[in-house]
Amino acid sequence: MTDEGLLALAADYPSAVLSWVQPDGYPASVRCRVRRVASSDSFEFEALPGLAVARRGPACLLLHMHDEHLEGLRQMVLKGILGDGPAPTGWPVFTVSAVVTANGRPDTDRMPHAAAPLHMLQFFLLGRRQAQAYLRKRGSPWPPIPYDDIARAVRGDADVPSEGGG
Amino acid sequence: MPALALPDEVAAVLRGFYTCEVTTVNRQGEPITWPAVSYVDEDSGRIVCAVSIAFPVKAYNARRHPQVSLLYSDRTGSALVDPPAVLVQGTAEVEEVLEYRPDIIGLFRTVAHRQPDSARFSSNRVVRRLFSWYLFQRIALRVTPVRITTWPGGDFDLAPVVIEVGG
Repeated sequence: MTDEGLLALAADYPSAVLSWVQPDGYPASVRCRVRRVASSDSFEFEALPGLAVARRGPACLLLHMHDEHLEGLRQMVLKGILGDGPAPTGWPVFTVSAVVTANGRPDTDRMPHAAAPLHMLQFFLLGRRQAQAYLRKRGSPWPPIPYDDIARAVRGDADVPSEGGG
Repeated sequence: MPALALPDEVAAVLRGFYTCEVTTVNRQGEPITWPAVSYVDEDSGRIVCAVSIAFPVKAYNARRHPQVSLLYSDRTGSALVDPPAVLVQGTAEVEEVLEYRPDIIGLFRTVAHRQPDSARFSSNRVVRRLFSWYLFQRIALRVTPVRITTWPGGDFDLAPVVIEVGG
């Protein structure tokens, strides 16, 4: 499966989050329903909130979903451009330039989970490698993590730990 | 009096929605949006989320371009009835999580509550060390809201209501 396969998965999502950057530098987003133009890299909007109608230029579409326990996570980001659609309406069309999955995989938008141990292992290796790269760039090791203190604080039966301690 | 005084229904969304959609701006001026769990720090009025050091691009973006936004538009899992959709635009302060301050503990506690499997996962001593790069070695984005836009009932076809809160 290539980006074509990932783009096909967009149909699974009932809605998407469209984001752009305002002239004042702040990004903005709205949720909307999108429909892929058949066999293309473009998406049309079934409806578009007023805040977004006149926007053109760099944009992204986030597709994500989860269940009521924050499981069953799926997500991908479509980077691209908001441009004028065909006449006579000129209703904007989003054209995809890149597809980015949070799991680092080109074949699925599903986040790793215990029921897919191979995916979990691959995600672990990817994350560990990238974390090591971050630490090398940082130039000094991360301080010790007070795991037990954090766990107690999260459970609410201890004060908040303020410093690493092993 | 909370540091961030908001209408009750807006405050309930910021505290009750399981995820929000966080947008940062990259070096090319393009928006990049990803879902995150957030936590409202009542003392400071800031909204906190965090990224793993394995996936630091969003933190780099926010450090370079501190204007960010958080959209609360998916009520899955929350018990809220007919909540508004809420867009928070603000400025982010970016900092490695080297001290586990109350807001970070609050964020961890929120994740553990909303995602029980992650709490079981991180309670395993071996697993939490193997995945410390994901669970604990994180970079915090602390967002000070500047402008909040809401859509009643989560209906983006309705005219939004804008609340200026700072800046």
